[in-house]
Amino acid sequence: MSGEALRALSETALALAAAVFVTSLLLLLLGYDPVSSLAVMFTYGLGNVEYVAAVAAPLVLSALAFLIPLRAGLFNIGGEGQAYLGALSFLYFSQQFGALGLLAGGLMGALLGGTLGALRAFLGVNEVIASIMTNWTLYYVTLFLVSRHLTHPEFPHRSIDVGFFLGSWTSFLLALALALLALVLLYNTLLGYEIRVLGSSRRAAAYAGIDVRRVTVLSMSIGGLFGGTAGALKVMYVGHLDTTMSALFGVGFLGIGVALIGKSHPIGAVLSAAFLASMIIGGHWVELRLGTPPELTDVIVGVMVLVLSAPYALKLLQRGGRLG
Amino acid sequence: MSSRLPLPPLALGVLLVALLLIGGFAVYRTAFAPREVKVAVLFDVGGRGDLSFNDMAALGADRAAKELNVKVDYLTPKDLAHFVPLLEDLSKRGEYELLVLVGFLWIDALDKVADKYPQQKYALIDASTGKARANVLEVLFREQETGALVGVSAAGMARELAREAGGPIKVGSVAGMSIPPLWRFHIGYLFGVKYFEAKTGTKVEFAWVYTGKFDDPAAGRRAAETMLAGGAKVLYGLAGLTHVGMFDAVIDWNAQGRGRALALGQDASQEWYNATYIPLSGSKRVDVAVYRAIEMVVKGEWKGGLSVLGLADGGVGIWDIEGVKYFAQIAYDTKKSKVTPERVAEIVSSQRARYIKEDVQRLMKELEDKIRRGEIVFKDPRDEKEYDAIIKELERGNLNAALAKGSVS
Repeated sequence: MSGEALRALSETALALAAAVFVTSLLLLLLGYDPVSSLAVMFTYGLGNVEYVAAVAAPLVLSALAFLIPLRAGLFNIGGEGQAYLGALSFLYFSQQFGALGLLAGGLMGALLGGTLGALRAFLGVNEVIASIMTNWTLYYVTLFLVSRHLTHPEFPHRSIDVGFFLGSWTSFLLALALALLALVLLYNTLLGYEIRVLGSSRRAAAYAGIDVRRVTVLSMSIGGLFGGTAGALKVMYVGHLDTTMSALFGVGFLGIGVALIGKSHPIGAVLSAAFLASMIIGGHWVELRLGTPPELTDVIVGVMVLVLSAPYALKLLQRGGRLG
Repeated sequence: MSSRLPLPPLALGVLLVALLLIGGFAVYRTAFAPREVKVAVLFDVGGRGDLSFNDMAALGADRAAKELNVKVDYLTPKDLAHFVPLLEDLSKRGEYELLVLVGFLWIDALDKVADKYPQQKYALIDASTGKARANVLEVLFREQETGALVGVSAAGMARELAREAGGPIKVGSVAGMSIPPLWRFHIGYLFGVKYFEAKTGTKVEFAWVYTGKFDDPAAGRRAAETMLAGGAKVLYGLAGLTHVGMFDAVIDWNAQGRGRALALGQDASQEWYNATYIPLSGSKRVDVAVYRAIEMVVKGEWKGGLSVLGLADGGVGIWDIEGVKYFAQIAYDTKKSKVTPERVAEIVSSQRARYIKEDVQRLMKELEDKIRRGEIVFKDPRDEKEYDAIIKELERGNLNAALAKGSVS
């Protein structure tokens, strides 16, 4: 194991200890027993590994959606909207084309990501603001289509069923394969090198003869590809969309936390997605076993994400978004 | 050689007897004590705190826990992806005698899991999978019956408001999504209004809008403001959290002097939210449904299949002053309202007396008796087409188009 990886691991272990400490303190302050809460959360969270794999798979991809553009110094907050578009496309195209629906979901996400990238590259439109606007537009477009055009004939609150299905392990392996692909892309290809140089310094990249616009559009497209696939995997697992949007809402935003905990590294994203997935699953049992309000789980998960990603996010902020 | 025991023989004997006694008692306790029934209530993604649907389910379960010696645990799934795996995990463990599933979001998960675990009992509240299973109890409500009574009173209130302040006699409703329970509300509410029209000869205008959401107060507010601007006097909230926005719109409408209007609540008693402008709520006793399901298990009277609760079963109706007080107390205790329950009850009583005149009270009583005695039974539309057809006929004044049994003239 290289020294760098060892350092990253020990840093994460330290952050994990700090996160458990801060969470326990907060639980004590709120009047709950931290030991039994966290014990229930972790034991039940890891009790059903297949369930963890299923919940983690889309999170790995929505983390990659944020991570790749971030390595190029771009903030793709649009993973959420890309996931909506990917889910819709998958739902629609899987009816006729089965597995190809997944590809359609990814490509539509890529198209959206690429558009946001092009707006930034050619017109100087801030990608964060454009992303947030498209997120909400697509939220309502999805809601409209689910309640008007893709509606289930018998149950009007939800969409028709997806036309293609992969098991929990298969979707997790797919996510893992895509993460490895992202790893190779970042560290073993010319484009990956250009992305990383752009992330370190835009001006240096331009000086070195890198086509900044091209790399901006491409990195956002690749992010969108992952974001769209994340949405497709999520709706595939649930089997349909519904008018509460709870099947999709938040998958992109959670991906940002996963990417930051994983220190913007594809393998880190896989590990942190599995970790967060097990926390979310275990959280249900804290309510069931200890009678705590369900919001407490959100608080625990939120604090964990915050504390675990804080060292890396701070480093990022200090360098003004530039990565080494 | 002196063998030394760690304890004198007498002490040892006493200890042994004591241990035997304690052990025997423990065995006796576990073997013969009444076994505590365990029940898990699984909410939809909204969970508790809505002071309506989910909270009422919890209310019924809490009552069962106290009165029937049942251990109740609660679970709120984070999002739709967790419904199937959680239900599957709980069914596989088999530690809960009954799993109570609250709301229509559980339909798909139950459909996928129920047949795999025939030993596990499930109660689905306010929704139906459309299939009969021995291990699944599905509880639906006759929303038409509460809607009809509310419709008559709303028409009566609109008449009084028009008398006091002028303008058209017009009632409306801010509804959630177009799903079967809402279809039944729509049919009942419109039936009540038309019943009032037929009996009093007073023309009443009617407006109905689906906001498409149960959790969006801003949408409820917009829909309500449009209706109020169109002259509506009484608005019936049928959209969960969304119609809290409708309440706010009505309250502001009065406060800003833009006109006079009243709002009506549904499911839980919601009068406490503003007793002056919300004088009445229809009831849909999710708590009764949950309690009954648990009771069936405890008393060993389990029977799967469909159960429909109406006026005659105490499943739906209009909240009386006792019920109003009960919910006002909860709101007061949880600091959601600063008005004491007594004061809420007082205002509600005087507002009801002011806006529901004697002739309307008589009409309501007459209709209620007909429903209770089973002289009239409302239709249950199977699909959107049948629902649309019934509404069209009702709008033309054909009351009997809404009835499966009996007739009114």
